[in-house]
Amino acid sequence: MPVQALLIGIGAICGVSTFLAILMVIADATIANYGDVKIKINEDKEVEVTGGKPLLSSLMEQRIFIPSACGGRGSCGLCKVKVTSDAGEYLPTELPWITDEEKKDNIRLACQLKLKKDISIRIPEELFNVKEYLAEVVSLKDLTYDIKQVTLKLINPDDISFKAGQYIQFKVPEYEMTAEPVYRAYSMASHPSRKNEVELEVRLVSNGICTTYIFEHLKAGDSVTINGPYGDFFLRDTDSDIIFIAGGSGMAPIKSILNDMADRGVERNIVYFFGARSVRDLFLLEEMKELEKKLHNFTFVPALSEPQLGENWKGETGLITEVLDRHLKSGENVEAYLCGSPGMIDATKEVLIKRGVPEGLIYYDKFG
Amino acid sequence: MKQTVQMKKIQEKMKPGVITRDGFLGNDIRNLIDILVEDEAGVKRIGLTHQVIANRMMELREAGMRGLGNFISVAPHFEVQVDSVRGKLPCPFGDPGIFPKTNITVKNLNINDEITFTDLHIHLIGSHGFYEGKGSLFRLEPERLIKTLEIAPEEE
Repeated sequence: MPVQALLIGIGAICGVSTFLAILMVIADATIANYGDVKIKINEDKEVEVTGGKPLLSSLMEQRIFIPSACGGRGSCGLCKVKVTSDAGEYLPTELPWITDEEKKDNIRLACQLKLKKDISIRIPEELFNVKEYLAEVVSLKDLTYDIKQVTLKLINPDDISFKAGQYIQFKVPEYEMTAEPVYRAYSMASHPSRKNEVELEVRLVSNGICTTYIFEHLKAGDSVTINGPYGDFFLRDTDSDIIFIAGGSGMAPIKSILNDMADRGVERNIVYFFGARSVRDLFLLEEMKELEKKLHNFTFVPALSEPQLGENWKGETGLITEVLDRHLKSGENVEAYLCGSPGMIDATKEVLIKRGVPEGLIYYDKFG
Repeated sequence: MKQTVQMKKIQEKMKPGVITRDGFLGNDIRNLIDILVEDEAGVKRIGLTHQVIANRMMELREAGMRGLGNFISVAPHFEVQVDSVRGKLPCPFGDPGIFPKTNITVKNLNINDEITFTDLHIHLIGSHGFYEGKGSLFRLEPERLIKTLEIAPEEE
């Protein structure tokens, strides 16, 4: 009898729990109807969206794109937006990404913040220039064993305006490694003057959802979706001498900047240090030689940290920091642009500062 | 083994779509506590501790940092690359801080095997003895990790 009572008790609890769960689902779909809410942007633009959805996707529906590398899962921490009205308490899923300083500024993660009432936000003006593009893969070319050049022709819209050095987000559709679309950021390597084309240089990342897709599934003729441009890594309009430093796929934005300078006839003293391990990691050497002819004061300095026996390498050897240290005598009248791994950026920054390059004139695109 | 309420909450955070798109558990249906206990036993059988394994991972990470994003030779017969992708990840166990998505790839030329781990892996193994669930894309099998990184018991 006690066992029977116990079973009846458990059954009753399960029944009540199931009923409450169903009630909550129904309530969320019906009672928790937030209606339309207004998003006021930068105090001068207003859009109306359906309430209850995250800010990130609501803005995306209005063709306003906030950078996000994880597609809105709260796992990249990139989609930070300043909220200037009351938006409620921080969610536990936001907190790991938000510093104390950002909390004071009411910075929120747009992908986590659900719109339950009217809201005011502030975003960089340049994000209004960001669009979503349907594109066709024109070609895929191996630049090295682990770097692929991807050339896209824009279909709709069919032209893009960007500053050399900026990046786009590439949408990876559902495939065996992801059940939902994801976005990954890649610098554009193309000329800004070629408005119908976007070129990327993608380095294979072990188990990377996007790079595996590009290396193993993408083929010429495929349709892809990208959005952009984003980023503040671009050439400053000064007369200073320029030092570029990159490694691996960090070549992409620097190549774009150099081609843009050649297209616009900008004449400045430029030295470009490119670090690789061995000859098989070098690429676009011919294109750099061509640029040396077009840009009269441009020198390309590829450097190998571990040239292999038999490669007969006659160029610079050593880590890129050592090569930079040997070449750069003074940082006076110099500004530097760096693109590569955080380790490379930190180490080269140290050398540049030691040589007198002001920290404020060192611009970088850190992968990370 | 009985799973605590706290452990249950952590396991919830490890599910797909909470911290990472695919989660940390793969198709492993065991309780988190069982995953931890079984991996702990495997590591002990070899005469090691999670901390020794994490220390070796960190040592190779530090050595690989010298390559500034490229592969670099590390004695006696390793090649290591430390590279990063955009983004950061929090610890599912709720530890403070967020971990950059730094990929450390170690090639053991002697046995011709290669393994990739992240800063978060080093933390998860060193602080929690967690190698991810079976079937997770990013699970590090302790035995393979120990073999590839050549972690010997006497290093303890």
